[in-house]
Amino acid sequence: MRRTSLSLGLAALVAVIWTLLPIYWILKTAFIAPVDAVAFPAPLWPSNPHFAAVHNIFGFGYTDADGREFLPAGQSKQVINGLKNSVIVAFFVTIITLLIIVPLSYAFARFEFRGKTALLMAILFSVAVPPVSTLIPFYILFVKLGLTGTALGLIIINLTITVPFVTWMLIGYFRNLPAVEPLARVDGFSRLSTLIFIVIPMARSGIAVAAIVSFLFAWNEFVFATQLVNGTPAATLPTAVSGFLFLQPQPGLLSASLWISIIPAALVAFFLQRHIAEMNLVEPVK
Amino acid sequence: MASRAEARIQNEAKLALKRIELSNRQFAMLLALPVILFLVMVMAYPMGYAIWLSMQEVSFFGGFRTSFVGIENYREALYSDNFWWSVRVTVQFVSVSVVLAMLIGLGLALLMHRVRRGRALLGTIIILPWSMSLYGAGVMWQYLARGQSGVASSLINRMLGRTTPDTAVEYSLISSEQIVNLLALGNAWNLAPLVAFFLLANLKTIPERLYDLARVDRLNIWQRFLNVTLPPLQYTLFVFTTITLILSMKLLDFIFVMSAGGPGDASATLTFRLFDLAFRQSNYGLSAAISFYLLFLIIGSALALFFFWGRRLEDT
Repeated sequence: MRRTSLSLGLAALVAVIWTLLPIYWILKTAFIAPVDAVAFPAPLWPSNPHFAAVHNIFGFGYTDADGREFLPAGQSKQVINGLKNSVIVAFFVTIITLLIIVPLSYAFARFEFRGKTALLMAILFSVAVPPVSTLIPFYILFVKLGLTGTALGLIIINLTITVPFVTWMLIGYFRNLPAVEPLARVDGFSRLSTLIFIVIPMARSGIAVAAIVSFLFAWNEFVFATQLVNGTPAATLPTAVSGFLFLQPQPGLLSASLWISIIPAALVAFFLQRHIAEMNLVEPVK
Repeated sequence: MASRAEARIQNEAKLALKRIELSNRQFAMLLALPVILFLVMVMAYPMGYAIWLSMQEVSFFGGFRTSFVGIENYREALYSDNFWWSVRVTVQFVSVSVVLAMLIGLGLALLMHRVRRGRALLGTIIILPWSMSLYGAGVMWQYLARGQSGVASSLINRMLGRTTPDTAVEYSLISSEQIVNLLALGNAWNLAPLVAFFLLANLKTIPERLYDLARVDRLNIWQRFLNVTLPPLQYTLFVFTTITLILSMKLLDFIFVMSAGGPGDASATLTFRLFDLAFRQSNYGLSAAISFYLLFLIIGSALALFFFWGRRLEDT
């Protein structure tokens, strides 16, 4: 018995190291003094925690214990602006996605209608289309319409990713809900009020997962943003961070800005690990 | 008197209700309408435009101009070595990614299934790579693998006691030979959590009784895994093999950030190639044509998986 729990503990340790090492390796750099951050061989951990990078990235100067002064990062404006844009884009993408997909996936799970299979095939097909191939026609269209460099354009193109994938997630989820419709009907609910007052509250954890996944997709999106809004006032956080990418003298700043972009993902991780598997990706395919 | 008036009101209410009461089918269509419009707008239009574009030669001198060239772009792709190289890289990247993601995902699922104490904490850690951006993952893996800042240089040199810049040697994990496998490893790191949580949900549905029977039959761990655990997971394994296959074949963000198709074009997958063709070389026609080859490859391999694996599972 003790032997199995020991090997289980070891396996858990391996899993945790495998998962966290790539994250840890760069995130530690935010707390290492700029001189040591570029040291070779690279330090294993911040032995003297140093907070210049996390101040500079937000546009604040920093004076450390030795009296050395560190000026605000030149890119701090872009980072703060990018943060703002990312929140706006991710927020609207989430809301619009939910408005479209909740009724649809409910209809899919509960009703038979003509063209249902065709529609499901179309949705699964949209999941298979590479974003980079949709980007080409959208880019040319947006150039014509003047939508490059705008949050609106980015929101529209992000929907092409979130809508198909999240619809697929929710169809399976709704199918697993108990069929309350006949009961609601006896109680005098119309179909629409059944959906709004009974089904949606019942489905809140599934809808929350759908919302989180859409938010994260939009928050994390890079390729669309780099082509459509990079270098414009509508640049999102990932494109702003790409300004630091190979800025070797200051890996601390890159690391600090990655901290910002990871925080939402870390905040929802607990909720997500608990509810993600309620989204039945397997069943709609059957 | 009063009752008659009441009856009339009730009757009218019923009629009014009937008027707005839709059939199931109509109600469903009403709910589905937004998405149908949406699909037409954001999927059918770009697909149609891409088909048109793939048959054009686009020139940018003096504005956006196109001329019809028929299937010339599709032919040009087939005659180009770059295209076939990218097909090779894509196939290697995707196969290694899928195998690793499924194995690691299965391993993580079995682990989470066994762990009792601290299960929520473990789950929260394990899902992190999936919830983070592929872009961030690209930065992380590059930082980790590179010689100068990398973990290999740091650990090996420290173990050998070489801690000063002039004695230490750079060990880079990035090389033209291994870059595709390294990218696949990073991609598996990102995808495995998704696989793991769905397999875990499936594992929970296996009745404990079967494990008791396995104990009675004195199966060893390996036999138990093959005969008790694995069979009920088959359909989920099939679906997620397909999902990881499609996601890996579509992937660009991670490759774009971590290796940018390099060194040289050692890791230029089809997605990278068509991004490069369209947005760096402004060769939109050829890029659109290649995007359809990629789409055929994706759909084709998903269908092949279904044909050779998924279809057989449905019979059982």
